[in-house]
Amino acid sequence: MRRWLALGGCAAGLALLLLRVPLAVSASGSLEAVVRDDAGQPLTDVVVSLTPPGAAPAAPRAGSAVMDQQNKTFVPFVLAVPVGTSVAFPNRDNIRHHVYSFSPAKRFELPLYIGTPAAPVVFDKPGVAVLGCNIHDWMVGYIYVSDTPYFAKTADNGTVRLTDVPPGAYEARVWHPRMRGEPAKTTKPITIAPGDPGQLDFVVALRPDRRPTAPSPHYDQRQQGSQRGGSRIASKLRRTP
Amino acid sequence: MHFRSFRSRLVAVFLGLFTLIQATGYVVVAAFVRASAHQQVEDELRLASTLFARQLDDRSRQLVAATRLLSGDFALKTAVATADHATTASVLENHRRRVDADILILASLDGAVVADTLRPTQHATPFPAPRLIEQAEAGREASDVVAIDGRLYRLAVVPLLAPEPIAWLGAGFVIDDRTAADLRRLSGLQVSFVARDADRVTVHASTLAPADRDALARQLPVGRKAGRLELGGGEQMLRIEPVGQNVMVVLQRPLAEALAPYDRLLLILLAVAVAGVLLALLGAALVARRVSRPVLTLARGARRVAAGDFTTAVAIGQRDELGELAATFNEMVGGLRERERVRDELERTTRLKRFFSPQLADALSAGDESLLASHRREITVVFCDLRGFTAFAEAADPEEVMQLLRAYHAAVGPLVFQYEGTLERFTGDGLMVFFNDPVPCPDPAARAVRMAVAMRDAVAPLLDTWRRRGHTLGFGAGVAMGYATIGRIGFEGRFDYAAIGTVTNLSARLCQEARDGQILVSQQVQAEIELFAETKPVGPLVLRGFAKPVPVFDILGIRAAPTPRAVSRATP
Repeated sequence: MRRWLALGGCAAGLALLLLRVPLAVSASGSLEAVVRDDAGQPLTDVVVSLTPPGAAPAAPRAGSAVMDQQNKTFVPFVLAVPVGTSVAFPNRDNIRHHVYSFSPAKRFELPLYIGTPAAPVVFDKPGVAVLGCNIHDWMVGYIYVSDTPYFAKTADNGTVRLTDVPPGAYEARVWHPRMRGEPAKTTKPITIAPGDPGQLDFVVALRPDRRPTAPSPHYDQRQQGSQRGGSRIASKLRRTP
Repeated sequence: MHFRSFRSRLVAVFLGLFTLIQATGYVVVAAFVRASAHQQVEDELRLASTLFARQLDDRSRQLVAATRLLSGDFALKTAVATADHATTASVLENHRRRVDADILILASLDGAVVADTLRPTQHATPFPAPRLIEQAEAGREASDVVAIDGRLYRLAVVPLLAPEPIAWLGAGFVIDDRTAADLRRLSGLQVSFVARDADRVTVHASTLAPADRDALARQLPVGRKAGRLELGGGEQMLRIEPVGQNVMVVLQRPLAEALAPYDRLLLILLAVAVAGVLLALLGAALVARRVSRPVLTLARGARRVAAGDFTTAVAIGQRDELGELAATFNEMVGGLRERERVRDELERTTRLKRFFSPQLADALSAGDESLLASHRREITVVFCDLRGFTAFAEAADPEEVMQLLRAYHAAVGPLVFQYEGTLERFTGDGLMVFFNDPVPCPDPAARAVRMAVAMRDAVAPLLDTWRRRGHTLGFGAGVAMGYATIGRIGFEGRFDYAAIGTVTNLSARLCQEARDGQILVSQQVQAEIELFAETKPVGPLVLRGFAKPVPVFDILGIRAAPTPRAVSRATP
């Protein structure tokens, strides 16, 4: 288990290294962006990406990433990866999980399992895969599969810094799981020049957080009592207006 | 007649008052009972509607929970996510059976029906309750009663989460006549489920007969929670409680049925009131009779008194005001009786006093008047008059004559009473008095003579006075003793007590013969009085009406040792 963890960490580090090495070679620019929600609060877990307009999508890169299930939560909440990344789903809890996604970006199912499934899941299409656990309704995770190599996730203070971006014109876009609103607001043109970092401010309108709330730590013990007779509800409901 | 109407009036007043009280009481109680009955029915309906609403809410929550349970099914999610419509419909039908629901319906996120167990062949039609999807989307509990194909369903909508919403799942149970019948069994009320769309009211499910359903749909009050309604079973009290956006449950109870116990109560009250009035009538009649009977008795008594019967006494055995009145009445009659008696006595005494001394008159009036009846008895008769009076009366002024007579009578009158003589008559200057009748006395002759002497003594000073005035007047008297017939003579209104007999004649003749100052007595009288009177024979006199000469004596005076009564006048 720990071995897998260490291995996952190394793989992630390696992937990042591989991403940055070629960008660092040429004279490059950078972008600093601040994302706030419509209440003015700094917004974390926002994926900010730069796409050269009209450019063909970048070729898939066979990197790897890890989406942990820890304490019945997907960690991280949002995982941003380039197209073609293999993502491992190590289960760090002592109960099973049943991870699935019905998203068009990647449809897959990892039926009840413990530990790390032998084969990681390869995300070969750009888009967003919404992850769920069939037995824990509140477990929600997102894998943002990017078709551009220039992307990053905002930190807790809502800032993000994209470095080693070749100078040129780009379309900057943001994505957040609860984002709503027109693309005009989530997309902004920007020209990256060498030297001074480009500055962008985004305000993202959010849908209310409708995720089912996670139960208290004693959830499993309590559930044993309250689940009795669940099927009896149905007979009771018969002829109920 | 008068009192009978008084009694009727009494009864009428009693009865009227009592009836008024009873009627007022009945009206007040009836109004109160009726109001409280209505209030109670309203409360009953309100309570039932509250309970229904609570129950429906609970069931709604249960439905939502069950639907949510269904929505968690992974196979369903898989089928939906893979857009496998045939499988989705099949899973839905399967799950419908699992929870024994009447409808399961799945809609895409944009509100188009994907699968519907009720109408399996229809696709892409709009979801029948888009509002529910909006509510579910807003994270609220989405449940409502909606009409689908003309039937009412309680429908709950939950998102199908994978783990974000990928579709909307609706589950519903039909509300039909059976549902209404179940509720009626619980509450005993008529139950109807009514939908209102714009101005159209549709009764979807009900315990009512078809005709009444139409009437309910036509007459359902708008915008109110309670009301009344005229249906086949009479007037109904209504309670309207919303159970969905456009659907309400109407609870109703026939007013007549609800008021039946109160009507029975009012009937009993009415019977009690009527019985009370009848009792009051009886009581009033008894009281009136009790009050009027003594009054009637008093009236009879008063009539008897008016007719002159002063012996009347009314007997009323009561100690109240009427008893007191009767006692007072009796006292009054007693007073009248006493006054009558006194008046009679006074009248008789007045009559007697014409003839007798006051003492004798009193005695007579106290006793009976049989003393005055005709009888024969030996009496002593005194005649006296004034000599020369006729000549004087002719010569003198009438005023002088009357003055003389007044003085004369004032002098001799009292003596008649003093010696208890019976004054038979006055004739101008003449006077006739007799003794031993009507009350016998032991010494009539003695009394007669003593009186005559007293008169002579009393008149003497008067005569001196008149003689000095030049009138020749004298006093003479005659006394005789003998049997006479005595009694009342005369006619009604004017009776005299008279003595008829020789003795009267004799004494009158003796008086005629007497000269001034002489008191002539018969021999028989002389024999009676010689013990105390000094007499002098005057000689036998020939008197008119008497065949033989009559021995006559003159009374010179009364000797010493006289009777105490005559002592002052015995010595001239």
